[in-house]
Amino acid sequence: MQNDLILGKLEEIIEPSFVSNRMEDLYIYSQDPGASLPRKVDYVVMPETVEQVQEVVKLANKEKIPIIPMGGGLTLSGLVIPLKGGIVMDMKRMNKIIDINSQNRYALIEAGVTSGQLLAYLNKNHPDLQPPIPDAPPSVTIAGNALIHGSGYLSQKYGDHGAMINGLEVILPDGEVYKFGSCAISDYWFTRGPIPDLIGLFISSFGTMGIVTKLSIKLFPKPKMRDIVFGLCKDPNNLPELITKITHREVAEDILLGIQDKPDWMKGYTFIIVYITGESEEELNNKTKILKALYRKANSRYMKVPKHIEDVFLEKPQFAAKAADFRKGGGFEYVGAFIPLQLIPKLIQIGTDISLKHGIVPTLGARLIGQGHSAMFFISYSFNRADPKDMENARDALHETNKAVLEVGGIPWKAEIEGQQLILEKMDPNYKKLLKAIKNLIDPNGIMNPGNWEVK
Amino acid sequence: MGGEIIISANLEKDWKDIVHRCFRCGYCKFTADYSDFNCPSYKKYRFETFSTGGRMWTIYGLISGEIPWNDQVANVIYACSTCGNCMEHCKFDKFKDFLVDFIEAAREEAYNQGYCPNKQKALLERIENLEMYNPYGEKNSENDALKKEYDLPDEAEWVYFIGCTSNYRQKELRDATLRFLKKANINFTLIDEHCCCSPILRTGQTKNVKEFVNYNLMKIRETGASKVITSCAGCYRTMKSDWTKYDNSTDIEILHTIELIDGLIKEGKLNFKSELNQKVTYHDPCHLGRHMKIYEVPRNILKNIPGIDLVEMERNRGNSWCCGAGGGVKIGYPEWSLEISKERLEEAKNTNASLIASACPFCRTNLNDANREFEMNFEILDIIEIIDNLDYEIN
Ligand SMILES: Cc1cc2nc3c(=O)[nH]c(=O)nc-3n(C[C@H](O)[C@H](O)[C@H](O)COP(=O)(O)OP(=O)(O)OC[C@H]3O[C@@H](n4cnc5c(N)ncnc54)[C@H](O)[C@@H]3O)c2cc1C
Ligand code: SF4
Ligand code: SF4
Repeated sequence: MQNDLILGKLEEIIEPSFVSNRMEDLYIYSQDPGASLPRKVDYVVMPETVEQVQEVVKLANKEKIPIIPMGGGLTLSGLVIPLKGGIVMDMKRMNKIIDINSQNRYALIEAGVTSGQLLAYLNKNHPDLQPPIPDAPPSVTIAGNALIHGSGYLSQKYGDHGAMINGLEVILPDGEVYKFGSCAISDYWFTRGPIPDLIGLFISSFGTMGIVTKLSIKLFPKPKMRDIVFGLCKDPNNLPELITKITHREVAEDILLGIQDKPDWMKGYTFIIVYITGESEEELNNKTKILKALYRKANSRYMKVPKHIEDVFLEKPQFAAKAADFRKGGGFEYVGAFIPLQLIPKLIQIGTDISLKHGIVPTLGARLIGQGHSAMFFISYSFNRADPKDMENARDALHETNKAVLEVGGIPWKAEIEGQQLILEKMDPNYKKLLKAIKNLIDPNGIMNPGNWEVK
Repeated sequence: MGGEIIISANLEKDWKDIVHRCFRCGYCKFTADYSDFNCPSYKKYRFETFSTGGRMWTIYGLISGEIPWNDQVANVIYACSTCGNCMEHCKFDKFKDFLVDFIEAAREEAYNQGYCPNKQKALLERIENLEMYNPYGEKNSENDALKKEYDLPDEAEWVYFIGCTSNYRQKELRDATLRFLKKANINFTLIDEHCCCSPILRTGQTKNVKEFVNYNLMKIRETGASKVITSCAGCYRTMKSDWTKYDNSTDIEILHTIELIDGLIKEGKLNFKSELNQKVTYHDPCHLGRHMKIYEVPRNILKNIPGIDLVEMERNRGNSWCCGAGGGVKIGYPEWSLEISKERLEEAKNTNASLIASACPFCRTNLNDANREFEMNFEILDIIEIIDNLDYEIN
């Protein structure tokens, strides 16, 4: 079908003011803030209802037009920039908080609800509850984040955000509404089981399986008090054991590591940031004492940090985007690798070496996930968006890092297309075979964010 | 950590080298607590293109030649009330101070490329019209009649710069100011003023601004005044932060009327003899608030008026929702402009206030227009009018 006919059809489904093939909108949606090169977009739509999503999907399926669901578009790895053109579906007009079930601690929300919106809503209306949100800017969506195995300040204690999904409503390529989790049986969106768990199909599949319109996400009790116990560790080889010990004592809410060459005093050290929570000063003091002792035993030092710096770390979400201006250029992208704890020292070495090789100040770190079960280790490369060579340099560094991570046994998270192909190369063939079969079953015309996770 | 943000302050020379540093992260869309979108443009259009970040990237696309100018892309640049919420909430220090400047600089580029929309162009045509010199298309009031009526001298210590909105659309506000200055025994006069240039600066039509600034400053200097006072937030900001780019001499102090009033209250010279038993909420004009950081002065005045129960709207001070009139939006997008004001009035309704006070004739105009259009039944007054309605003494 001709472009203008498709546009006309889209405008019959969604109010014309939220359908566009205007050059300036396509320009913006053809890029993200990461290092990917721009790629062609044909249309951008912003549905407001499930029915509108269904109708657009039916149209796309009939006309075999790719469709790319987008939340905040902030993964940085180009996951919402089409690989084969098509319709970018910006979900952010579907932004209703449908229900907060404070007893069972979950939020039933539409897919376009931002992390900022849910955080503010709970702060105001349910101050004893807190949402699992990443340290990404508040404009990211809860759905976009949970659907990529996102992590945040609650992940050390409770696991990655994908694991916190209780239920999903998804429009599959046939245009029908499917429900997953307890909501497929009950009016309560309170749990994933006890039925065959298909929710995993939609996590880290990058919109290749269907469009999530609603999700139920777990909420957690908000402790009265929150503080940070900072530490400094000279020898990275001490870190895995130290972290295992901290998680064993169950004193930490969140554990972050920071390794960077700037400012100068940080060079050669790992900055350990352990968040503690409690109902009383006494509880916090006890946890602080335990941590100080653990630091000491691991040849690390407790570090007192000025209040104004501590306050920056206590912000929710933390301002993690600062790296975007390190090269005066509005851009950074990172390899976030899911790794077992013992790889931390290796990743520090890999990240430092590759950064220095590419002339980029090393900026690395990690967030612990699930009581020491794994860590998301990030190696961040800043670039100057106005300098194509600098962006290419960052892309090269990212690619090299993805390779190195896979070699040592880690797995790049929310990987851009080149990273996905590296992962697929290493993937067990039967896993790939099954993935391909499931994808073909669900999406026979290959309309859902095609190009991603493409098993060749 | 890991790097340093360095921004050259020489915007005119360097803005094209800085604008790409926007990360498009979107903090600027929100209120401080992220509970709502606070960029009127994003809230209406909802495509990322119309967020501040999208606008910055569009500007970069235009100046780098990645996208060409056309009317639609110019719309992205003009569909913004220059309210400054983005400057308040962007997380990149220093960079954020320039966001509205970037938008205005891009509008200048649009004008030069022939893409300034016709409605906004009308502002310049009227201001340049030798019979008018104001954006309202009215015959220039040389202010001689007012000078006579209020018995004002040719030479004085102060000049009251009325501003076009007060002189041609909100005369009650102008007259209230004149009465107050007289009562305060200020030695002041008026000049045959031409537009301060706020409307054309905000819409990128800057080519003759220097002439207007020179003219107005010459007229002010002719009176021998060392102080200029205005009740208009737009004139105040323009005189205080834009005129200096054209004439950086420092012989003239610029004040907003509320600063004079607040000073008199603090010195114990202004005493109210009657009460205003009403619940009042204050709307922060963007020109005065986010752009000039004046938040407490008007509140202090209102708190000192006997009987007033001052209540805050949920979004206030740096977090305020714009009235929707600024940045050429009222003339360029009249319906949207009223929608923006409507949202402010709805927020005011939640406070149960019956009177909305402000300190900007342009906000007053737009809030009043929306009040009428949507039958919201508020009383909307400038602080100077509220005072004018009271009995007071100045010693
Ligand atoms: C400064 C910065 C800090 C960050 N910190 C963190 C952090 O601490 N933790 C963390 O986890 N991440 C972090 N990130 C990465 C990323 O921004 C977040 O994970 C973010 O939450 C992704 O959400 P989004 O709404 O932007 O998703 P998008 O980028 O819009 O989408 C992500 C993927 O999900 C798909 N998708 C989105 N919505 C739907 C839907 N409704 N149905 C089906 N598929 C969908 C998209 O197609 C895409 O493949 C950070 C990013 C930045 C820029
Ligand atoms: S203006 Fe600031 S907050 Fe907004 S997108 Fe750009 S960098 Fe982010
Ligand atoms: S000035 Fe106001 S309307 Fe314009 S981009 Fe900034 S926040 Fe949005």
